[in-house]
Amino acid sequence: MLKVKEVQKAFGDNQVLRGVDIEVAKGDIVVILGPSGSGKTTFLRCLNFLERADGGTMDFDGIHTELKSASKAVVSRVRKKTAFVFQNYNLFQNKTALQNVTEGLIVARKVPKAEALARAKAALDKVGLSDRYDYYPSQLSGGQQQRVGIARAIAVDPDVLLFDEPTSALDPELIGEVLAVMKKLAKEGATMIIVTHEMTFAQEVASKVIFMDGGVIVEQGSAKQIFTTPKEERTIQFLRRVLKDFDYVI
Amino acid sequence: MRPFHPQFILEVLPQLVLYLPVTAAIVVGTVFFGSLFGILLAAGRIRRGRAGRILANLYIYVIRCVPSIVLLFLVYYGLPELLNTFGVNINDAGKGFFVITTFSLLFAASMAEVFRSAYEAVDKGQREAAVSVGMTEFQAFYRIILPQCIRVAIPNFTNALVNLMKEGSLAYTIGLIDIMGKGQLIIGQNHGSYSLEVYLALFVLYWVLTILIEKGAGLSEQRLAPDRNRRGGLSKCS
Amino acid sequence: MQLNTQFMWETFLDVLQGIPVTLKIVVVTLLVSSPLGFLMAVSKSGEGRIGRRIIVAYVSVIRGTPVVLQILFLYSLLPTVLNYLIKEVLGSSYNIFNLDPIFYAYVVFILNTTAVLSEVFRSALSTVNRGQMEAALSIGMSRPQAYVRIIMPQALVAALPNICNTTVNLLKSTSLAFMMTVKDITAIAKIDASFGYNYLEAYLVIFVVYIFLCSAVQGVFHLTEQGVAVYKKPVVS
Repeated sequence: MLKVKEVQKAFGDNQVLRGVDIEVAKGDIVVILGPSGSGKTTFLRCLNFLERADGGTMDFDGIHTELKSASKAVVSRVRKKTAFVFQNYNLFQNKTALQNVTEGLIVARKVPKAEALARAKAALDKVGLSDRYDYYPSQLSGGQQQRVGIARAIAVDPDVLLFDEPTSALDPELIGEVLAVMKKLAKEGATMIIVTHEMTFAQEVASKVIFMDGGVIVEQGSAKQIFTTPKEERTIQFLRRVLKDFDYVI
Repeated sequence: MRPFHPQFILEVLPQLVLYLPVTAAIVVGTVFFGSLFGILLAAGRIRRGRAGRILANLYIYVIRCVPSIVLLFLVYYGLPELLNTFGVNINDAGKGFFVITTFSLLFAASMAEVFRSAYEAVDKGQREAAVSVGMTEFQAFYRIILPQCIRVAIPNFTNALVNLMKEGSLAYTIGLIDIMGKGQLIIGQNHGSYSLEVYLALFVLYWVLTILIEKGAGLSEQRLAPDRNRRGGLSKCS
Repeated sequence: MQLNTQFMWETFLDVLQGIPVTLKIVVVTLLVSSPLGFLMAVSKSGEGRIGRRIIVAYVSVIRGTPVVLQILFLYSLLPTVLNYLIKEVLGSSYNIFNLDPIFYAYVVFILNTTAVLSEVFRSALSTVNRGQMEAALSIGMSRPQAYVRIIMPQALVAALPNICNTTVNLLKSTSLAFMMTVKDITAIAKIDASFGYNYLEAYLVIFVVYIFLCSAVQGVFHLTEQGVAVYKKPVVS
């Protein structure tokens, strides 16, 4: 369904992505792991054109485009087929939880208002916020805000959901509620690409794990394969480090 | 259309520059007296005494609402009469006296805000930390608190200073001959025929002065804050 | 010191007739300058190099020079230029010197306030988190849609205190409109005073009138702020 090839991106002299390929089928849960600075977030942002890649191509449900020169119309089509969940939620501060969700439906997709309201409420109910429709972001906890962020993303019924470290900004005791929502979505067959540091979560839900370092994909495979029998030295070192840290915390 | 003589701008500039010292003297005098009064006002707002706070707040509120030219005329026409009732005769005082009095009254209100926000911006923990490493109270104030206060104050002070210089140009309306007053004189001597050229020359002068003040402020801010380059703003409405 | 209270009362009644003129200048200026200033703020952060240079220079000159100078300059420039344009270029016989001088006041204060507001909006826009734009784009909004629905409302709330300041300053600056023979509050007081040299009384009257107007302006902004900043209030439960 989604296939990108040879994605390149540099910020000034700093080559962040050096040719990254990815292929996602419907229902896939792709988890991207890697040390910070490995380019995983930049890669995800390129998929939604929040960053303009310097090179690479995208095939997405009948759309074929160069990433660098994609026209406004193509960018708009891709964005309407995807939804992005941000590390720091980025809820619209001047809109209530419900309005945050309806905005993308009414304004960007011209969904009739009544239908948009119904879909938004359904989405908020799904993430367990049926009692917070009229709250403003500043009145919600971090975990609740991120769940609104997820509701905003799923309400538009995207082909692919993109998650950029959705729990990194949360206090430890709030991470669970967000991960629970994501697990629920995974079970219902949503297609997701997730950048995260939550290893247990990755092992549990990923249908495919990608390990990135230095702007390239070092290794990819099933969750079991990567976590139990990694082949590359860099993957092994990374896992040893984070999993040891993980053990250490316990 | 009327003739326009660009070279007259260059001719008139040196004549105007001769009166820069007057403009500068007004600014310096106002900054001095206005700051003194401003410190009193700021103290009134910071201190616990209720009466002082109410008075200072009321003063600042009123001054903020009054156009400079109205206050200038009030001082110019009213102060001699007011003092006369106390038996003080200032009918012979120079125009500069009225101008500096007016703008000191205005500038003090801005300075009160500058001082207060600078004072409040410095974390109380800074003094405690300084004392805890063995500094005296004076050392703590002089070496730690004051430099931080000044740094916070610079952008707001610069704003107030530029405003003062610009508003000071109104002094010509009561007959003071600073650069603006001289410009008006020159226009009068030529029966109004060189007004555009003179005004353009004045634009250049004021603009350059503003830029110099702002550059100077920027430099001193950098020296005081090698760690930051951000400017703070101050909003007074609430 | 004796004040002629009879004169003060009469002047007060006269001055009341100048309030609509003063308010008209303030309101027209704000209505024109706000959108212009906002556009300038947006394009200043945009890409066009030359356009940005021009805007920076314009703002710098306006903010670096006295309003009174801007008034005197434009008031000696505009009538002759307009007269030339109308007579020579358009070939019309309209006499520009019959034009209501408030028109010149509009021009001066719009030029001045636009520059000030462009700075106000620029700093307000910079307080809106970059992520807000990204989130809007990511759910499929266009850039203009994102500006109108997400960025602008937040920037406006952030800018309100400074817009209030600007308005107060504008109100005070209109006291110089008498230099363009506009019959505003100050002009009326000056005229009344000149008959019997009652300057002190006349200026005391408008001193009070300006405080009243200024309080009204701040009151309006205070109410507006409370109305629009709903989303900043903590939850009441």
